[in-house]
Amino acid sequence: MKKRVTLTFPKRSVHMPVTYRLAKDFNVAANIIRAQVTPNQIGTLVVELSGDIDQLDAALDWMRSQDIGISLASREIVIDDDLCVHCGLCTGVCPTTALNLDPQTFKLNFTRSRCVVCEQCIPTCPVQAISTNL
Amino acid sequence: MRSIAEINDKILRQQAVVWTVEELKAKVQEIGITQAAKQVDVITTGTFEPMESSGAILNIGHTDPPIKIRQCWLDGVPAYSGFGAVDLYLGATQMVDYAGVGDSEGQDLRDRGGGHVIADLVAGKPVHLRAIGQVTDCYSRASFETTISCDTINQFYLFNPRNLYQNFIVGVNGGDRPLFTYLGPLQPQLGNAVYSNPGAISPLMNDPDLQLVGIGTRIFLGGGIGYVAWEGTQHFPLQKRLPNHTPIGPAATLALIGDAKQMQSRWVRGCYFKNYGSSLMLGVGVPFPVLQEEVVAHCAVQDQDLVAPVMDFSIPRRVRPTFGLVTYAQLKSGKIAIDGKAVRVAPLASIYLSRQVAQELKQWIEAGQFTLTEPVAAIPMDRSFVAQDRRGTQINLE
Repeated sequence: MKKRVTLTFPKRSVHMPVTYRLAKDFNVAANIIRAQVTPNQIGTLVVELSGDIDQLDAALDWMRSQDIGISLASREIVIDDDLCVHCGLCTGVCPTTALNLDPQTFKLNFTRSRCVVCEQCIPTCPVQAISTNL
Repeated sequence: MRSIAEINDKILRQQAVVWTVEELKAKVQEIGITQAAKQVDVITTGTFEPMESSGAILNIGHTDPPIKIRQCWLDGVPAYSGFGAVDLYLGATQMVDYAGVGDSEGQDLRDRGGGHVIADLVAGKPVHLRAIGQVTDCYSRASFETTISCDTINQFYLFNPRNLYQNFIVGVNGGDRPLFTYLGPLQPQLGNAVYSNPGAISPLMNDPDLQLVGIGTRIFLGGGIGYVAWEGTQHFPLQKRLPNHTPIGPAATLALIGDAKQMQSRWVRGCYFKNYGSSLMLGVGVPFPVLQEEVVAHCAVQDQDLVAPVMDFSIPRRVRPTFGLVTYAQLKSGKIAIDGKAVRVAPLASIYLSRQVAQELKQWIEAGQFTLTEPVAAIPMDRSFVAQDRRGTQINLE
């Protein structure tokens, strides 16, 4: 199964090779969506973890024991279908093509799994149809 | 081939053959221009895009005692009142006047402008009105405050000085900082490109010489019935044209008018471009009577036959440097090449909703609810495009 989590590292854990440990000890693949890590500062990492459900839970428990903050409610982009006019302006600033226009219908598609929550689409939308759920 | 009177007769008997312009283009590929022209009576076109030179005329009715309004705000957005006592004109790009808004709400209202207030009135929502009057012997009242809606005022009609651009430009940013434009954000180093005309489905791309559209032409405007009122501002029919007569950049424009009380909020939407300002997104549909084969030949034009110039917005001058012409087929593919670099392209007109405008207009005509009109007068096709330069000597003698 897959789980998208936001990890918050205290200063002293920043040096730890977390994704290596997840892979080696728990057989969990960590796909980094966004990261902000600087030496001697609190770091944050948005990752999509995939692996066996029990091992995922064990990995989350282990990270908690290392004082790594875990938030399962990660910020996501939400599109209000009543407001969206399918102009497609957001597709030009989306770096991962998570937002794209159907080549036939020119209707807006949002592929959530590709979204890195960079939020560039939010101020671009002329009808304020895009927001985050947090 | 057929006259407008004959077509209207068929429409009223619900026997007219109506195709959207996309259906027509597909049919022409299949059976050719001559056969298609024999079959179809009316071709419908539509667009849905921001049209910032739009505005609404309102007459709010007389108060007792009466007021001669000299300054007025609708939801904090100033409306022009320099004509008859309670006549107002609200422009789509007019920004909220902070002085007129309570301080706690100011933050949320910054993204709102005249376009949003017009859209709210169309949607039947209440709008706060504050007016200051000039006291005279005819009009004794000095100020007035109330809440209005489209049902509590006399006239409420859109009168848009410049709509329905025949072609437009493609915006890019060759500079090194992000730009916030009327085409939305343009990222530096050619990070993205934006085009705003829906190309081959756009009404005036299918009638390049404006032979079918003139003053008095009945149209679909914002989900209600409207009319072509005049040539639009910055109407520039003398723009360079391709052999198929379509312009290579912004060309003809039309002034449109229509009763906003009949409009539907789905087709009239306020919008806001970050760090640029507010505007109004509007659905406009134009029907073309198939009077002769030439009408079908013009409407058969495809995206690969139409071009727009790529303009660099990083040079803030009237004449901006251009990266040359691209076709609408390239634009709609989502990528264009500029100086050998692949650039992401996004539309600003909603092609999805533009198609629905053409579809809805087709249904109106098929149902016998919408008949076609002969233009009262033609739109001039010889207007030059004057720039505003200071006249006379520029030498300062002081």
